[in-house]
Amino acid sequence: MASIKLNKITSVWIISVLLLFIVSIVLGILMRLNQGEMISQSPITFYSNMTTHGLTMIGIWFVAGMAAVNYIMERYVKTSYTVNVLALVLTVIGILMFWASTFIGHFHSAWTFLYPLPFKEMGSETWATLMFLGSLTVLGIGWLIWSISLMTQILKKYSIPQALAWQHLRKNPTVETPPFILISMITLIGVIACLLAAVVLLVLFYAEYFSNGNFVNDALLMKNLTYFFGHTIANEMLYLGLAVIYELFSEVSGRPKWKTTWYVALAWNCTLVFILTAFFHHLYMDFVQPQGFQIIGQLASYFASLPAAGVTVFSIFIAVYRTKIKWSLTNLLFFIGVIGWVIGGLAAVIDSTISNNIVLHNTLWVPAHFHTYNAMGNVLFSLGFFYWFSIQFSDKTKIKKSTTLTLALLLIGGIGFLLAFYIGGAESIPRRYSIYPSELSIGASLATIGAAFASIYFIAILIFFFNISKRCLKILFSSS
Amino acid sequence: MFKNIVFIILTISFLKTSSAQTVSPSLKEESDIYEKIYDAPLILDKNQPTPLHELYNTKPLLVVLIFTRCTGVCNPFLLRLKESLQFKAKKDSFNVLVISFDPRDSIKDMNLLARRFALEDNNQWIFAVTDSISKLNQSISFYPIWDSIRNQYDHDALLVGVNNEGYITKKLIGMRGGHDLDLLIASVNNVFSPTYRLPNKKVLFSCFNYDPKTGKNKLGLGLLFIALPAILTVLILIVIGFSVRSKASELEESS
Repeated sequence: MASIKLNKITSVWIISVLLLFIVSIVLGILMRLNQGEMISQSPITFYSNMTTHGLTMIGIWFVAGMAAVNYIMERYVKTSYTVNVLALVLTVIGILMFWASTFIGHFHSAWTFLYPLPFKEMGSETWATLMFLGSLTVLGIGWLIWSISLMTQILKKYSIPQALAWQHLRKNPTVETPPFILISMITLIGVIACLLAAVVLLVLFYAEYFSNGNFVNDALLMKNLTYFFGHTIANEMLYLGLAVIYELFSEVSGRPKWKTTWYVALAWNCTLVFILTAFFHHLYMDFVQPQGFQIIGQLASYFASLPAAGVTVFSIFIAVYRTKIKWSLTNLLFFIGVIGWVIGGLAAVIDSTISNNIVLHNTLWVPAHFHTYNAMGNVLFSLGFFYWFSIQFSDKTKIKKSTTLTLALLLIGGIGFLLAFYIGGAESIPRRYSIYPSELSIGASLATIGAAFASIYFIAILIFFFNISKRCLKILFSSS
Repeated sequence: MFKNIVFIILTISFLKTSSAQTVSPSLKEESDIYEKIYDAPLILDKNQPTPLHELYNTKPLLVVLIFTRCTGVCNPFLLRLKESLQFKAKKDSFNVLVISFDPRDSIKDMNLLARRFALEDNNQWIFAVTDSISKLNQSISFYPIWDSIRNQYDHDALLVGVNNEGYITKKLIGMRGGHDLDLLIASVNNVFSPTYRLPNKKVLFSCFNYDPKTGKNKLGLGLLFIALPAILTVLILIVIGFSVRSKASELEESS
């Protein structure tokens, strides 16, 4: 049973995430409007906004997943409230430092901050690079401590093989590992690995920054480390959401609790291994990278996504097919989110196939796929949790007409917004252009359409924000 | 007859010495890359001057700088280039423009030179002079020095690749092998050519170390850094796993 303190801090996480999400959506819409030539931003403003939008989104949906996992984990093991607060404080400080580097210092080398871009001032303030690297350090420390703390709590109750559900690969396991614990453990290991990659990356950045030109980094090493961190964390945060779904979907649907089977255990263990090498698919264009790594990148992209997606879709399908279940906004958001995750995942697998990547590399197909499994996948996982959390202390669980309208807005806005990206990708419109040259005028038209649909999505999010935050504020200021 | 024998002996001797001296790549080759070549008015025959852009707009160019009175590298350089290009698979994808940088040379001298190399009827080879040679030289950083004692220019054997938009895509200094010419031809046709960073003492953690002598990449320390996060994670997992379990068993024993 969650303590009052945990309820309160989870409320703070939810309100903070939704607030930052609103700001980030506004930045995204402004970027699309600029690409559509409806407004005019300077290139520095555009790329600063792109950097803020990207890293803020990654950050908030990662912490949203972590906060949800932390909250539900209390059902199985005792978690540390102090570490939870520390993570919140460091996240707030980190975000403020990061926003200072972009909004005031005009740092604009995208959230992937590919080496050597952070060292090229190109119109940003001299201090902005150090502030940006500092913000990543603060965020990374907070998240690493949080992840290690949660993993430690799991290991206090379950041994390593039990936490990874290896006993389920044999017949008649004596100890049962709940799917939530298995997926959380798998994900936390991946999160720790990618955050350690960020540590190595930051140390190398600092070493060059303070060496006065006596030490220079290897661009290939920095790119590998950047995507080890970036690609992996972007995927792991999805798995945090899936851990929550495995725990809550059956519960809110009034169905028996899902159990770990041999294929669930096998699929998630495969995901643990393969997700750590799938990032190689970001380096297909780097001819110096050995061909073996490129092949590993393609195969790992398949093997990391297909087993986890397969068992999750199978479990959800079995749960809803010809079964009378209690639909609520929570399981509807989970259900739609899984569809979004699968569609985005398929688009990602298409792009990670070397023969396709030659055509799709750095086109709008890339933002198309990651916005699909984030905006229509992971965001819905977390919104489902936020909604479930906020109504726990009230009786309003039925779907109202206004809820149906909100969902319709979310779907129409989301699908239209994503289609503009997909069509752009299929038309080979490059990504990360602040404005399109006349030869790519279709990119500008699609950007305007994308901005219009994103605004509809934004209205739905505002309604969610208003409703969920109102309830979370009550929890925050209640005495019991 | 005597002239021809002397010419052949000189050619062979220069081929040997200059190829030994000029194989190493020079940083001079890196200057002016992706800069536009000066659009000089060229005299190709007795008609009106032809602007250089008309040639490169038609086909990408390999530009050769020589002078007809040269007793040094010019003749072996041209001969070697002619021989090397004969066997290139995509030789229709570019033209070779031979320009004299000596103001004393006339188009008549250049035509004689073309005849001497049996290139006068070869449409791929264009021989020209220009009255704007200093501007052209400046645009490709080519600076011949007049030696009044020898009555000769001291100059590099320079080959410049120019794509069909007039951009300098690659430069080769000295008589170079077939692979370098392949890269030059690929570059003027806007085909990607891989390049490797030369060894640098400031880069401590390279994933691969390129050896320019052998042209091979060796594994570097940087690769270990890519694996480091995964190794550290496994170590952290094992250490935490065992420490919390041993603490738990200690507590059980004491209670």
